[in-house]
Amino acid sequence: MTKFSINKFKLAIAGAALMGAVSSCDVVDLTPANLIPDQEAFATPARVESAVLGVYESAQRGFYLGSVQRGYPFGAANVQQGDMRGEDMYNDQLFYEITYVGAYNPQTANNNGMWISLYRMINRANIVLEGLDEALSSGVLTQAQRDRYRGEMLFLRALAHHELLVHFARPYSDNPASPGVPYRTFAINDVPKVPDGEAVGRGTVGEDYQQLLSDLDEAESLLPNGAFSRASKGAAIGLKSRVKLHMEDWAGVIAEHAKITGQYAVTSSVTAPFLSGSTTDNVFSFINTEASNAGVNGALASMFGNPDLGARGLVKISPLIWRSEFWLAEDSRRTLLTTSNGTGVYTGKYPDAVTYSDPNPILRFAEVVLNAAEANAQLGNLDVAVTLLNSVRSRALPATVPAFTAAGLGGQEGVLDAIYKERRIEFLAEGKRWADIHRLSGAGVMNGVPAKATSRSITNINFYNTDRAIPTDHSILYTSNLFVWPIPLEEIQTNSTAPIEQNPGY
Amino acid sequence: MKKVLLGILLGVMTVMSALAQSKTITGKVTSSEEPQGVPGASIVVKGTTVGAITDIDGTYSINVPENATTLVFSFVGYLTKEVNIQNRSVIDVQLETDVKVLNEVVVVGYGTQERREVTGSVSSISNESIANLVAPSFDSQLAGRAPGVQVTTPNGILGARPIIRIRGVNSLTSSADPLIVIDGVPIVDNDRSAVNASNPLANINPADIQSYEVLKDGSATAIYGSRAANGVILITTKRGSDGKAKVSYNTSMGFNEEVERFQLLNGDQFVTIANEKRSNAGQSPLANPGVNTDWQDLIYRKGFTQQHNISISGGSAATKYFFSLGFTDQESAIRPNDLKRYSFRANIDHSISDAIRIGTSLSYSLTEIFGLNNGANSLSGAIYNSTRALPNVPIYDPENIAFDGYNVTANGATTGFGANLAGPDNNIPNIGFVIDNNLYRSRAHRILGSVYGEADLATGLTARTQIGTDLTLADDFQSLDPRHGDGRSSNGYVYMAYNPAIRWNWQNTLNYQTVIGENHNINVTGGVEYQFTRLYNFAGWGTDISDNFYREQNLISGSYNNQFSGGGYSEQGFDSYFGRFNYNYGGRYLLSLTVRNDGISDLIGDNKRGTFFGGSVGWRVSDEAFFNSNLISDLKVRGSYAEVGNVGLASFAAFGGFSPVLGGAGAGIGYARVANGGLQWETSKKFNVGFDMTIGPVSLTADYFINNIDGLILAAPTPPSLGVPGNSINQNVGAMRNSGLELRALATVLSRGKFTWNTDFNITFLNNEVTNLIQPLTGTYNRTEVGGPVAQLYGFKWAGVNPANGNPLYHRGEEIVQYNLQRGAIGWRAYDSSNPGDVSTTSSGPTQEFLGNTLPKWQGGWSNTFKYGNFDAEIFTRFSGGNFIMNESLRGLLGQGFSNNHASILNRWTESGQVTDMPKLYSGQDANMWQTSASNSRFVEKGDFVRIQNIVLGYTLPSNVLQSAFAGKITNARVFAQVQNPFIFTNYTGLDPESNTFSGQQSFGVDWNVAPIIRTYTLGVNVGF
Repeated sequence: MTKFSINKFKLAIAGAALMGAVSSCDVVDLTPANLIPDQEAFATPARVESAVLGVYESAQRGFYLGSVQRGYPFGAANVQQGDMRGEDMYNDQLFYEITYVGAYNPQTANNNGMWISLYRMINRANIVLEGLDEALSSGVLTQAQRDRYRGEMLFLRALAHHELLVHFARPYSDNPASPGVPYRTFAINDVPKVPDGEAVGRGTVGEDYQQLLSDLDEAESLLPNGAFSRASKGAAIGLKSRVKLHMEDWAGVIAEHAKITGQYAVTSSVTAPFLSGSTTDNVFSFINTEASNAGVNGALASMFGNPDLGARGLVKISPLIWRSEFWLAEDSRRTLLTTSNGTGVYTGKYPDAVTYSDPNPILRFAEVVLNAAEANAQLGNLDVAVTLLNSVRSRALPATVPAFTAAGLGGQEGVLDAIYKERRIEFLAEGKRWADIHRLSGAGVMNGVPAKATSRSITNINFYNTDRAIPTDHSILYTSNLFVWPIPLEEIQTNSTAPIEQNPGY
Repeated sequence: MKKVLLGILLGVMTVMSALAQSKTITGKVTSSEEPQGVPGASIVVKGTTVGAITDIDGTYSINVPENATTLVFSFVGYLTKEVNIQNRSVIDVQLETDVKVLNEVVVVGYGTQERREVTGSVSSISNESIANLVAPSFDSQLAGRAPGVQVTTPNGILGARPIIRIRGVNSLTSSADPLIVIDGVPIVDNDRSAVNASNPLANINPADIQSYEVLKDGSATAIYGSRAANGVILITTKRGSDGKAKVSYNTSMGFNEEVERFQLLNGDQFVTIANEKRSNAGQSPLANPGVNTDWQDLIYRKGFTQQHNISISGGSAATKYFFSLGFTDQESAIRPNDLKRYSFRANIDHSISDAIRIGTSLSYSLTEIFGLNNGANSLSGAIYNSTRALPNVPIYDPENIAFDGYNVTANGATTGFGANLAGPDNNIPNIGFVIDNNLYRSRAHRILGSVYGEADLATGLTARTQIGTDLTLADDFQSLDPRHGDGRSSNGYVYMAYNPAIRWNWQNTLNYQTVIGENHNINVTGGVEYQFTRLYNFAGWGTDISDNFYREQNLISGSYNNQFSGGGYSEQGFDSYFGRFNYNYGGRYLLSLTVRNDGISDLIGDNKRGTFFGGSVGWRVSDEAFFNSNLISDLKVRGSYAEVGNVGLASFAAFGGFSPVLGGAGAGIGYARVANGGLQWETSKKFNVGFDMTIGPVSLTADYFINNIDGLILAAPTPPSLGVPGNSINQNVGAMRNSGLELRALATVLSRGKFTWNTDFNITFLNNEVTNLIQPLTGTYNRTEVGGPVAQLYGFKWAGVNPANGNPLYHRGEEIVQYNLQRGAIGWRAYDSSNPGDVSTTSSGPTQEFLGNTLPKWQGGWSNTFKYGNFDAEIFTRFSGGNFIMNESLRGLLGQGFSNNHASILNRWTESGQVTDMPKLYSGQDANMWQTSASNSRFVEKGDFVRIQNIVLGYTLPSNVLQSAFAGKITNARVFAQVQNPFIFTNYTGLDPESNTFSGQQSFGVDWNVAPIIRTYTLGVNVGF
């Protein structure tokens, strides 16, 4: 009897313990500490600001080979790829060899990295664009706040698509009806939206440029003026100037220039736009900081800088441009913006080889000026063109070097040629060379990628300061399939409903 | 009834043996299981046929000849024990259970089961043959020991995690690693180091382990439910048994060496090759003759290794204890990799009364690993660097004091040029300087503890509660020299992190056992379980350091200019309500049913919960009256079917949203993952049939299994242009099927006089097939497609070298194309075998196809143990095959840049008509010449091998020698010599066919600059006090 009751007691205790355990322990109802759910992302003005900054972040630090690294697309990679596709910067190592020698294919990493990171940035912008309208209708944002953010997103979306067009599509200047790149204006942030996204095809280059301009026109109308670190009205106008130059809309280029002349100005110092932060020349840059940059394997300072100054020096200034007769020895862009060591000459535009905090200049007013110079020259306004050209060139030269005149340059062709050369000098190591080769080849001015100094061959400073023969190689004809990058194989393979077409020849 | 019969028998035998007596010895035989006495144990005078058998109460009496010195006590299930008689007339003996034979009882999850009643597929592995081997962790030594258990040690870095697969790859994106349960507590199995490979199982002292049970089929694993999709390894640690304290000390010492090195060009050969690459491309020569250096000499060594373990165990009837201390220090064959572990364990069991028992298992260990950069593609990666460094350049430059006498350029950017006009490709640093100066240290304190209480509530009804915790306190330290190597670009780098992992697990079970009538045996278990895991980390790091002096041990405040910090947090909760019903009729007809409802925090809403059923049946044919075979003494057939989930999904896999991002323009939030609230459990449907049979001296076990995995959770790829984060969305898409056959045979091959030979052989045949997928999954080397196995090699098909011009040839669909290595005319050209010199027709590049499966189709192990008198030996062989390997190491070593090459590059094409497999050299054309963006059939090789895994030779000192030398203070002593990994038979031309760079399921079978696997020689001693 006693035993029986003890057992009953124990049973009751055990039962109670089990019941307690069942009711008190809820371990499966958890939420992640590091993910703000979609529906809460636009719930406060501060969150919206953060989401907007997140788009800038994706522009500056995108995915490359599956992780955030190397400054894709606009933290640094646009400069490196843009320069390595041209002849004015020289590749000294294997890092950019594939781009430099034209050995890319639908699976090589650099070209695919640009595609992947640009579209990642675009989808982030589209997600914010949709979130902004919710935030406006729910009263989280004022109309003015929403407009400004919307303008920024449209600017960034246009910037990304233009970069894609320049690399993956044939130039507008040749044939606007050639295949473009997919241009999505809606967000992919839910499983059911995937098929809609997959259905968007390449369209044509012409359609893409129309959408670009439409985005930029709206951005211009929505954006206020502002600092160079965020998209502003001036940035939208500056980018339109570039886009219209690619479209050969000469009057348009001149009109865009006129809108912001006075608000911006070419600096008298050639170094200030790089070393002094914000100047009247800096229209738009992506900011790098010591905590947020492209890292040792991507940062401009690391890759382009002089090894004697702590950088890695994988890319040098090419002796071809260094020894060209059009780049005068007195030019302060030689004397103040380059350094050298026993094996070559390096750019000085990105000096922070330890913390990589140099901004990446995307739009400088000097470009808008030279765009306008070129447009004026095309329309026969040669004196206006030369004046604009001189406003950039003469500031880098001592008074002893006479300014250009239209007559001295031998008429329209000579003026245009001088402008093309000035662009190569002024924007050296800023990644702008490829876009010029792209549009000028389409226009028939160039015949593709010119011969470059042979990769891995410029091993001594005497290639720069003596008449030692410069070995050359790696030219690509405009007619070659290699002139445009292939669409990533991954893009075609993973689209299970409507894969886009590959560029011919790949 | 049984005991009465036994008593009569004993009486008869005692009478029969009482003939030529001259001395009588009496005593009692007991054991921890049967403290009242072991009946029926046999006692024999050593070297004679004189014997006796114990009585019902374990007592015996034996008449021995005057000259008898030793009595031998033995009984089924116990270790045989020899006792010196000396002058005693009363000898009491306590027998110890023989764990190997004690397969009679099998640990099955929330309890034990008698082997004869098991209807699932469970393999037992005794720790006996493993305990003395030198290894950073026990898991690597399970390889080949049981059928269906595949363990691959992918490289020779100590701390690197072996890849364990039970019955194949059972998930694509979720975890494919088995659940590890130690003394009933499922442990955390996450690598908690960010600077080194740090296998969490290396924190467990292998010497503390008693046995391993591998649960393989659905029925056996079902009780672990959703955590068991990939099988379960149950580990039981040693516990005390009552009796006098026993102390044992085990030690071994020896050295590690690399199994093989790469065959590279020497300095003079390099000069020829390097300049030929360039002249063929119209470039000026860069290389000039210098010295002949093998940079591999810098990174390899004979690494000293030692281990020491001491344990004390014993107890009274009520309280039993086991304590141990362990220390090991292992230097890898590759500098400066080193692993040290200090460990302690205390296991205590106590019976408060006949009905209430409590106990604890507690272990603490400190594991310290010094690692290195061995990134396959890292400029300072030891293997990458040492095989690329220029061999015509000296390692040292004694004058170069700024760089500790290493040959480094004055600005520190790269290795000195020597006589060359340029430095090595990618400015790779001098690996000697890097190894000497850069530090990669990880430490982990690991506390594994559990307490249990058990109460018998009524006859057959037992309640048990157990709370277990697993606490890993891991910290990392990394420090890079500012002068040269990886730290140069940031002017020095220091990093320190704290990465704890905490889990608690609470299990409450009720068990009821009864026998109804004479033969209806019923055993019912029900319970609830909760498990919560928290992983978090924070780190501080700095660059631009003020002085090298401060970066040796720890972060030192103020010693670096740029300060950074970061951290992360994740948690996972799991709960379960489960029941198991076992029934057997007279041990002849067996039935087991389980049901389990699991919940997990990683999914959303109702999808959090899943219910999984399992069941199995067995038929002990040999117990049937009609079964009458002299040859077959035991035969059981069994079958099972069960469904289980897989908890190894990504943290909060179904959730989406915005994660914090730090951009140059400011801290923001970035869209990080697409939510998928519809995500559900991935379910494995496991089917198994098998039999266990004893034929004469041979025990056979065979199983055939099918595992259908449905609703695979996959990070399903999306087109990159959609801009979806990670270009993937977690979805239940796809299905996969594993099937296979397992055989195990154990036998005493020979037992004659002092000589015995036992053999234990197992083999597994495995087949994997993906049966459904929305689209193929393509990585750099592998592709997974419906109709084939996971992760087949996929890439370009090599067609040789064009003898006319040295161009590499590849297949393009049905055609063959050549990559024209001609200056000014570089590019793809059509190839016409009747006119091979014709390069006039341009073509597109080659196309890709499947080049071979990467999962072994057969594998197994074969252990042979020999005993002759006091000598013992084991030869353990492992084999595997049916798979292919992409030898990326070799492809990388045939690069066309300015760096060293594999010696086979000397066969390059040089003149028209030459037939070779090495194309014309051409600087900078690796990407197209070798089609480096995917696998390439030229480098795909068969992975078949037979490996002599271990050879062990031991000698046990005779007890009379110990008696006379140590006066009984030492009860047993054995010395041994062993070599691990001495030989391999394979046609694979790389360093080792088990080398594997990637451990994920979708990227597999790629050998890319991994550190060679280790060979170990050791001498050791086991002593018992």
